[in-house]
Amino acid sequence: MIEATRSVSTPLDVSTTVDVSMTVDVSMTVDGAPLRARVPARYLLSDLLREQAGAGGVHVACGQGICGACTVAVDGTAVRACLMLAVQADGTRVQTVASLSELEGETPARRDDLTPLQKAFREHHALQCGFCTPGLLVSTALFLSQHRAAREGAGARPGRAEILDHLNGHLCRCTGYANIIAAIESVLT
Amino acid sequence: MKPAPFAYARPGSVSDAARLLASHAAEASLLAGGQSLMPLMTRRLARPALVIDINRIAGLDQMELLPTQVRMGALVRQEQALRSPIVRQYIAGVAEALAWVANPVVRQRGSVVGNLVTNSPGAEMPAVAMALGAQFVMRDQDSETTVPAAQLLGAGKEIPAGTMVTHVLWPRRTGAAGFYEVARRDGHAPVVSAMVTLSGDDCRVAVSGVCATGLSCPTMARLIAREFPHPPHTRDLARALQADLTGPAYGDSYSSAAYRLEVAPMVTQRAAAQMAMQAPAV
Repeated sequence: MIEATRSVSTPLDVSTTVDVSMTVDVSMTVDGAPLRARVPARYLLSDLLREQAGAGGVHVACGQGICGACTVAVDGTAVRACLMLAVQADGTRVQTVASLSELEGETPARRDDLTPLQKAFREHHALQCGFCTPGLLVSTALFLSQHRAAREGAGARPGRAEILDHLNGHLCRCTGYANIIAAIESVLT
Repeated sequence: MKPAPFAYARPGSVSDAARLLASHAAEASLLAGGQSLMPLMTRRLARPALVIDINRIAGLDQMELLPTQVRMGALVRQEQALRSPIVRQYIAGVAEALAWVANPVVRQRGSVVGNLVTNSPGAEMPAVAMALGAQFVMRDQDSETTVPAAQLLGAGKEIPAGTMVTHVLWPRRTGAAGFYEVARRDGHAPVVSAMVTLSGDDCRVAVSGVCATGLSCPTMARLIAREFPHPPHTRDLARALQADLTGPAYGDSYSSAAYRLEVAPMVTQRAAAQMAMQAPAV
């Protein structure tokens, strides 16, 4: 079983050339806007995004990497923001659900237009309370674009098994998933 | 801010990381993908005083095809390995096992080496590394050594404090492979998992969840090779498993040792059947 490691509160004696610090400077872009902050090393990316970048679309539910609600894109890869330290995103491009049209590779005619994925979720009743939805939209947009990239020209599309594997990373307590699967399948081309 | 306070370092080279780790062995943790360490830290089951983030060390995210081995750096992500043609073609069993680890988002971040060094009964990969005869490249302050994974993984063994696993070396091995597991929920830690692979008449079986850590099962493997392509009867596999146990059977509050021992032969049988379906006709 997993054992707790020993806790040490004495100051560290560090004699190397590598910076070792309890506080760190971070700099990144969040949904296109630059963000600079000085934060404790233990500050999580999910907290940074919500508290310092005002990214309310980053939903924190379990806070321990199980539910997927806080999923964001870091340099184009889906990441659970509650399992990444803010300092680990230093120098990266972070996109939350506010960048969904970009993640889907769409240019909306008007700023408030729904993306194809959002429309599909609405049409298929793929959400009820909506708490899991932002993380689900971000990772589904990336899942679909990965498939498009990997299978360019092959004409194959993700099957039911791959969609279910993808949804393994997201907990939804409202829908029972059937409508989410239907929404995702409806946008496959 | 759920983790306990810690100091953070982001070394740019293996030697800097090894030096830092050696000087703070007992109170430092290495951070690669963080998909095991971060949940432990947010639950404060782990409270390292120093977190050494190795993510910016160049080269550790590489896989290399060597004459007899595949060399995989400590930052190779599970999803990256799973999709790699090198892994699929030259290390039978590894991609099949990785497909069952967690879920795609976690696999894109979590590293293969990170899963291995947990040495946990609830991880798929340690048993696979033991059964396939993988080796760890270990780095401490002044030297680099190569050690069989089976010497460091398994019941009562551990990776020495202050030592960093920089690479895993998988022996090249072509052949068919199958994997199966039971978990309380898809994508969660397995209760019992089994990998079976056959190369010529050399069969290997890796079982997680029945001993305190992973288990390599040569007796079950010989039985499967002998009866291939038919999966052996679970009664015979159960008897073989008894011979393969290296310590007391493992159980926790969710799944008793007796349950795991009963289900392991069935899981292994299904993995063997999967493998037979993948193998070319004989």
